[in-house]
Amino acid sequence: MALTKVYDAATVFRNLNGIMNVYKPAGMKVKHVRNAILSNICKGLNELEQREPRKLPNDMRLLGTGAATDTVLHKIAANTDLSDHILASGPRYLPGDIRCAAVSTLGYHTSGVLLFGLNKGLQQSSLIQRNRPVRVYHVTARMGTATENHLPDSRVTVRANHRHLTPERISGLAASMQASHQRKMYELCGVDLQTQAAYELACKGLLRPADNSQPVVYGIKLIHFERPHFTLELHTINESEQYMAALIHDMAIELRTVAHCSQIRCIRHAHFDVSESLLRHGWHLPGIMKNLRLQQSVLEAHAQLLDQQRVDLHAAQ
Amino acid sequence: MLCTWVRNITRIRKITKCYQISEQIRHIRALKRVQSDVIVPLEQSDVAQHDKPTEKRLAEPNEKQNNAVALDFGIREAHVPTFNLAAHVNNSKTLQQLLSLGVNLHSIERRKGLGQFVLKLDFEENVKPYLTFLSDQGISADDFGKMITKNPLIFKEDLDDLQTRVDYMKSKRFSVEALQRIFTKNPYWLMYSTRRIDRRLGYFQKEFHLSGHDLRLLATKEPRLITFNMEHIRKSVFTLREEMGFSNKELQTLIVHTPRLMMIPPDDLVERFSYVHNDMGLSHAQIIQCPELLASREFRLRERHEFLKLLGRAQYDPQKDLYISPSEIVQGNNFYFVRNVAKSDLETFDLFLKTR
Repeated sequence: MALTKVYDAATVFRNLNGIMNVYKPAGMKVKHVRNAILSNICKGLNELEQREPRKLPNDMRLLGTGAATDTVLHKIAANTDLSDHILASGPRYLPGDIRCAAVSTLGYHTSGVLLFGLNKGLQQSSLIQRNRPVRVYHVTARMGTATENHLPDSRVTVRANHRHLTPERISGLAASMQASHQRKMYELCGVDLQTQAAYELACKGLLRPADNSQPVVYGIKLIHFERPHFTLELHTINESEQYMAALIHDMAIELRTVAHCSQIRCIRHAHFDVSESLLRHGWHLPGIMKNLRLQQSVLEAHAQLLDQQRVDLHAAQ
Repeated sequence: MLCTWVRNITRIRKITKCYQISEQIRHIRALKRVQSDVIVPLEQSDVAQHDKPTEKRLAEPNEKQNNAVALDFGIREAHVPTFNLAAHVNNSKTLQQLLSLGVNLHSIERRKGLGQFVLKLDFEENVKPYLTFLSDQGISADDFGKMITKNPLIFKEDLDDLQTRVDYMKSKRFSVEALQRIFTKNPYWLMYSTRRIDRRLGYFQKEFHLSGHDLRLLATKEPRLITFNMEHIRKSVFTLREEMGFSNKELQTLIVHTPRLMMIPPDDLVERFSYVHNDMGLSHAQIIQCPELLASREFRLRERHEFLKLLGRAQYDPQKDLYISPSEIVQGNNFYFVRNVAKSDLETFDLFLKTR
């Protein structure tokens, strides 16, 4: 499909459908990101060419008195319905006119990939949500201090030494945690890990939780270590910011020290990668339209994002 | 309601048996519309009550003609509730004139009571004298729309009062250009009595020991500051003086250079200051040199400073090589910053932002 330049707001609005991949900055709520994007879209739309005010029907009889001084004569010439003028009826596009929903939410301190469905893309966004794709996080921890809610902006509660920590010890712990999380999944399904049933279950693909209440971790890996910081890569479903922060805290306790999360960054949500996400200075109408097109091609390349067979993880009765 | 109305008509018809020729009816209807141009919603109900008995009698023989104009509610027009000013634009000459001035009726009606007020105005009587007054003050007609949109209540003020206020400003040796700027930038200024304006100008002069010239400069630069919430200003001044520790002399230059600082929420101001002072390591004297730093949002400062630090170019000491002026950091959009200040490219900057 060839791309053409469009100057007409109505055409743009008609094509404002699909999934949008936004880079959420840390320290900003999802709600605020959404509001900022919607108001920017509306600003962009209202700056484009608008439709002309409606015409009055010719036989309309509400035209004033008919006296010579009245504006009747002007109106016969112009015959526009002034009540439809932009100054009288307000801007043509308001944030409320655009339907928009986040595929899944990110916490206040988390930055990274955030998916929004716009207008007709709402359907796609709910399908993606229902398929529960894996999200990949880079979580940076700072060793030596623990804070009240395990995040950087609260009070420090404990200090500890971390000289005895080596990358090997952290990776070892990460690997064992990953293994225990995987075993937990099969246990929740009610099958023993050493059976044929478990093998067949594993053949069908990734085990996913049936609802969005239980956080599930599929992989933990140490990817960077530089005192006093280390970074873990987490593959998870149904996680929350609080859960990951608590995970870091528990890991540190296990390693005989304390730590808190200094940064949580979502780098991938299903096939939607951070490299294609839209930064804050790109949150304007042209950027958003381009991003929608880009994500559309991702969706087309990976049809299983919208429609897939999956194995649900049911808690054992 | 319609049913009862029709029922009434039939009853009246039985009693009175009064028939009128359609010529007369049309005449009366026309008269009624003349009124509807001028009358206001409050009065409309009264008028409607007066007209009712005759209208009922008159409407009856004309029923066939009425069918032709299905949307013409006749006298009931007065009772149909309207939700915005747009509903009246086609019928009201005043609103049409305001529209042609560029007044945004939509944003006026969102504020409580203003829609009613604007509807009651008559262009020739209530609006025109004020417009001539404003143009006498040298305000161009292009700005009328914006001014009235912001403050339609100016039509409530007495013209003599307005003249007194302008004279007061002139007696304070504000130049004509300054007044023009003040009135266009802050349409609320003229609403304040001379005593109130005097008190506020006095406050700023005493608080910061400003000379007359500096005070005029301050008021012209940011006219909204003078009519701003005084409680807020007091808080900001406290923040600037006590929490950030600017001396009186420093504060004076800071205020005159960027009066807008006092209109920023104090919490944000402290956040920005602590980043600039503690993380970027700029002294008070350097901040005084470029107060725009404090007017820029914190995330913007943070992004840019950390990018410069990553490139090893965050060097704000003018005595050394590769000096980058702090005022350049907050200038322009990201593209300008990356190309001209950081001397890098936008892809690098994007990649950097995606690691945070």
